[in-house]
Amino acid sequence: MLLLQLLVDGLQLGALYALMAVGFAVIFGSTRVFHYAHGTTYVLVGYLFYWMAERLAVPWWLAAALAALAGVVFGVVLDRFVYRPIQRDEGSFFTVFVASFGVGVVVENLVVIFFGASFVSISTPLTRVTDIGGGIVISYLGICSMLIAVALFVLLNWLLARTDVGVALRALSENPELVRGFGLNPRKLSQYAFAIGSLLVAPAALVATCVTGLTPSSGHRVVLISIAASIIGGIGSLRGAGFGGLILGLAESMAVWKLSTGWSEAVAFVILFCFILARPSGLFGIRARV
Amino acid sequence: MQGYILNLLILVSISGILATSLNFIIGYAGIYSMAHAAFFGVAAYTGALVAMHVSTSLLVTIPIAMAVCAALSLVISLPSLRVRGDYFVVASLGLQMIAFTVFSEWKEVTGGIGGLTGVPVATLFGFRLASLESFFLVALTCLALVVLIIYTLVHTSFGRSLKAIRDNEVAAATFGKNPIVIKTIAVAISTAFCGVAGVLYAFHISFVNPESFTVDQSVFIMSMIIIGGTGTVFGPILGALIIHLLPAGLTYLTFLPARDLASLQQIIYGAAMVLLMIYWPSGLIGRANVKDTWAK
Repeated sequence: MLLLQLLVDGLQLGALYALMAVGFAVIFGSTRVFHYAHGTTYVLVGYLFYWMAERLAVPWWLAAALAALAGVVFGVVLDRFVYRPIQRDEGSFFTVFVASFGVGVVVENLVVIFFGASFVSISTPLTRVTDIGGGIVISYLGICSMLIAVALFVLLNWLLARTDVGVALRALSENPELVRGFGLNPRKLSQYAFAIGSLLVAPAALVATCVTGLTPSSGHRVVLISIAASIIGGIGSLRGAGFGGLILGLAESMAVWKLSTGWSEAVAFVILFCFILARPSGLFGIRARV
Repeated sequence: MQGYILNLLILVSISGILATSLNFIIGYAGIYSMAHAAFFGVAAYTGALVAMHVSTSLLVTIPIAMAVCAALSLVISLPSLRVRGDYFVVASLGLQMIAFTVFSEWKEVTGGIGGLTGVPVATLFGFRLASLESFFLVALTCLALVVLIIYTLVHTSFGRSLKAIRDNEVAAATFGKNPIVIKTIAVAISTAFCGVAGVLYAFHISFVNPESFTVDQSVFIMSMIIIGGTGTVFGPILGALIIHLLPAGLTYLTFLPARDLASLQQIIYGAAMVLLMIYWPSGLIGRANVKDTWAK
């Protein structure tokens, strides 16, 4: 019974991880920017939501929408004013990564100054659990997060397969030179990638703020999970990243069955190691070797 | 006051060793590690345990910690260096996270969150290094040795192979160099020197706990070499000096709210990293040819 409960919990966690990871994968896959500040977007959205909904008593749906919008703006602004100037000088993968990390450090500490370093959360009746038979419990919010994840994946798939922007983004991830050759502007496309990627992490941040709470340093973990999931799924594969997130969520939850909770945080990274060792191209990836 | 300054200088020396050893792989080999704090921690715990149970001599603790770090480095370099460069960053980040969990959860050995307390005073050739002055001299000597060894290494054929691999791996392989072996050795050397810093740190503050070995610490070390200049001899030491003097300097600015000092300090580091990457990616005393330093 415990195992089944852990499975249900793992699915909820996995849905959130999948959203974060797919957001990261959209950005990394099409722009090759190692967007460490993806976790910062998460923290920013979560705290803005908390600030508006809990302290200013803005209606929750408005607070959620505004916070998600702020996340999108943050992602696009970073791309425009930090990553682009660096890439203009042919900056390497690492130069961009360090800058991204620096942004994360700045925002994390601004949050500490404004909201304190301790953990915040929003209390809502939706986190109350309900019995779905056989003593297995799930919260309404848990159900919501799984539905949101599924809905967003369907939407994203449609976007990438059917719209001009989506097709161009996929082309960008495969061959940026050719995209330029077709008269499209990779710079402009990368803004779309950042907008979509940041938007995907927003629901995860909103739900997690209510369910597990948030600290200013949550961002590190979010981006590490996203990176791990992208590698497990295979770099360049969105389906893989989503799947990788789900696996990590399940594994982290199931680990509690045998290990104490303190160790469960390391489980994701042990899995990551196994993949780097045995299958560096991930589940759905290609071209991992040089 | 003198104690305060000596204390600061010891920390600068230890950080200088950390930064110099990390610079060896980042600056000369183009390998970006985010796990330096994890190795620093492994060395500090190893040093503390050896000192508490076996011997307090630096001539025993330091070599053991160096060996442990070098052996552990194989865990990440062997799987990840086979693949693309960015996999090493990811693998090292993963190791950093796992190491922190191990430090705080493997309570029988590491003492959990509370850490290990009561590390005895270090000895060298039978002398107890109880005073700050003597310990500072030892730390400074270690820093000088590490800088000298790395400087020498960089100018040997091994160092030239490393730079060749950094600048063009395929070309280096064509000339008969084995990039994977050379890089793996470089990482082992770097982490072994990181071990020296870990042992000194454990003896200096006489306790170790997981808080000192977080991802933030890894970034802290990295920002030292980025601010100072990668691929230079004195850049990392200058960076270590700046990063340690900054908080000391901030405390003189009395108009700043004391509560937020630590955060303000971090904000300054973060902002410095972003601005340097945009406008000055080679650091304060970096090489003139920026492209050359960073191109991969």
